[in-house]
Amino acid sequence: MKKFLRLTLAFLLMFSFMSVFSSVEAKDDHVLTVGFDQNFPPFGYVSKGKFVGFDIDLAREAAKRMGYKLKLQPIDWDSKDMELDSGTIDCIWNGFTMTGRENKYTWSKPYLNNRQVVIVKKDAKIKTLKDLKGKIVACQKESSAESALESKKYTTLTNSFKQLLKVADYNTGLMDLSSGGIDAIAMDEFVAKFQIKDKTDTYRILNQSLSSEKYAIGFKKGNTALRDKVQKQMDAMIKDGTFNKLSKKWFGENVASQSDASTSKNATSLIVSDLKQLGTGMLTTLQIFFLTLLFSLPLGLLIALGRMSKHGVIKNIMRIYISIMRGTPLMLQLLVVYFGPYYMFGINVSSAYRGIAVVIAFVLNYAAYFAEIYRSGIASMERGQYEAAQVLGYSPVQTFFIIILPQVWKRILPSITNEVITLVKDTSLAFSIAYAEMFTQAKALAANERSMMPFVAAAIFYYVFNFIVAAFMEYLEKRMSYYE
Amino acid sequence: MKILEMKHIKKRFGDNEVLKDIGFDVDEGEVVSIIGPSGSGKSTLLRCATFLETMDDGTLRYMDRNIVTSHSGHAVYASKQEIKTAMSYFGLVFQNFNLFPHFSVMKNITDAPIRIQKRDPDTVYEEARALLKKMGLSDKEDAYPSQLSGGQKQRVSIARALALKPKILFFDEPTSALDPELTLEILKVIKELAQEKMTMVIVTHEMNFAHDVSTRIVFMDQGVIVEETTPDLMFHSQNERTKAFLGKYHIG
Repeated sequence: MKKFLRLTLAFLLMFSFMSVFSSVEAKDDHVLTVGFDQNFPPFGYVSKGKFVGFDIDLAREAAKRMGYKLKLQPIDWDSKDMELDSGTIDCIWNGFTMTGRENKYTWSKPYLNNRQVVIVKKDAKIKTLKDLKGKIVACQKESSAESALESKKYTTLTNSFKQLLKVADYNTGLMDLSSGGIDAIAMDEFVAKFQIKDKTDTYRILNQSLSSEKYAIGFKKGNTALRDKVQKQMDAMIKDGTFNKLSKKWFGENVASQSDASTSKNATSLIVSDLKQLGTGMLTTLQIFFLTLLFSLPLGLLIALGRMSKHGVIKNIMRIYISIMRGTPLMLQLLVVYFGPYYMFGINVSSAYRGIAVVIAFVLNYAAYFAEIYRSGIASMERGQYEAAQVLGYSPVQTFFIIILPQVWKRILPSITNEVITLVKDTSLAFSIAYAEMFTQAKALAANERSMMPFVAAAIFYYVFNFIVAAFMEYLEKRMSYYE
Repeated sequence: MKILEMKHIKKRFGDNEVLKDIGFDVDEGEVVSIIGPSGSGKSTLLRCATFLETMDDGTLRYMDRNIVTSHSGHAVYASKQEIKTAMSYFGLVFQNFNLFPHFSVMKNITDAPIRIQKRDPDTVYEEARALLKKMGLSDKEDAYPSQLSGGQKQRVSIARALALKPKILFFDEPTSALDPELTLEILKVIKELAQEKMTMVIVTHEMNFAHDVSTRIVFMDQGVIVEETTPDLMFHSQNERTKAFLGKYHIG
């Protein structure tokens, strides 16, 4: 059994090391990894299971001309700087506002002029920016609308709002607007136009706009070599009309309506591809779930034994470990595990590390909870069981694994079930490092289709999954109740 | 031949001196009952003899092997291997049975002989069935402890101890958790074992039983052995403390 525990530990360590090493190898000079928010149509989003958008097309063409392989990496917008710094992406190419961020990145030349506009409900009485007084206005976190509203220029305006609400993505904001939770949303003009193009009977854009700003490609500060390479291709694309062609495709009126027509024509194939995308997310969720249980259940036992150890140092280390893991949000732990290698040790991680980081963070977190459950179970065992085993000649290790642990299992099963069900739902937290599990996929789909349906599908999935988990645990409990 | 020899045993829990320099021997074939009021140290003596408690000072021998020796006022235990050997000489029956609830009756009895003593499973099963028959539990081998009455549980735990073929069997108040009717069941079993010349040490409050079954009775009070003699002499003792203690029981 000791061997088994050692193996488990070795596995975990290998897991983390592999990722670090593979990252060193995977640092290929001829791959352009573009980071983008996959909930940001029309610049970058998911359609029919593929990443599409104006910026995606631009990046694809530029990479092709450079002779680079293009890697599209969806990111969580809040973490874009960490992603860029840690080298998991080479650039942010995603309707990325340069204005106000001039010194934070190494920039390409701006390629689009964009205004910040305000969307309201069609029948709202809001006509001008002044009418927003006393209203709840939303903008995306870390977006240019946010920086515009928080700039000195608009202090008076922003102060007149009842509240400036920062939402995670535009889609959530639009849903909030429809449901009446907010009165207006400030966002990029191009995004706004795309978002409401087939919903002009529901929403309207105010004629008055906020500041104008420029979109450019952001590289890690100091990475002028790559910037220059990309810029050369951008210049060429503008010169030979490719840029214009793409711009027409995405923002020209003819093209926009065409793409709508094709959407309705291919309704069935769209649903199929949607389901496929949700299915992939589902598999990823299942993977997180099973890997977490596989490693955290034995690790939790190990921690519980350490916590109950007579050795003061081990005992206190485990006590602190449990206290930290239970005392801090899992989402934060995910960010630390994922970005920690770079920020703490300067190690560049590979994109494969994203999934590994998710599992490591979940295992570390759940092991702490399981450890306390094990501990309560072990502590509830009568002393007589140990004494009887001792007198019969069982060694302490035999006593634990043959006499004590099987009984502990039965006692703690209901508490374990609780945690396992929570785990099913907690897997959705992997979205915080943009890992493409069920919830992340549903969010992306919802943004693309401007619909609640993907969320409904996700909810059904989580419910059914949990229903099965609960039924299975109940079956286990029944099987274990052959005695008592 | 002496199976167990304990000399100058001292044990304290904090300020409470539970065993005050006690000597206790058991010869092969003897049935010794230890009686005395609660807190007199009789259970502690038994637990020291079975390594469930560590004695502070004194010597302990099983089958002429030195297991615990005394060095400058402290008990020194022999190697793990020696203690393991010593532990194979005795069995212990608990007041609360302490059966393993997740094992069937059969497995409770056979697991240790097969797993620990590494004996041939078929022989062990055969012997276990014979033991169960003797205990009147032939139909219970597949039952789980929770399905048994207290008396049945205690008979299984006696069978479990006997399956390891000990040279001496200790009973720590084997009937205290049972009602009078079930108590009789257990006492009957112990009497049968006595007739088979099983060496036994029994901590008990059943005075009539102690009188009937014992070859020797030890009366303990406040951490010392007050008197140690045959049952007949014990129940006609002139010692004030013995008389006061036995006076609380109906002997007949």
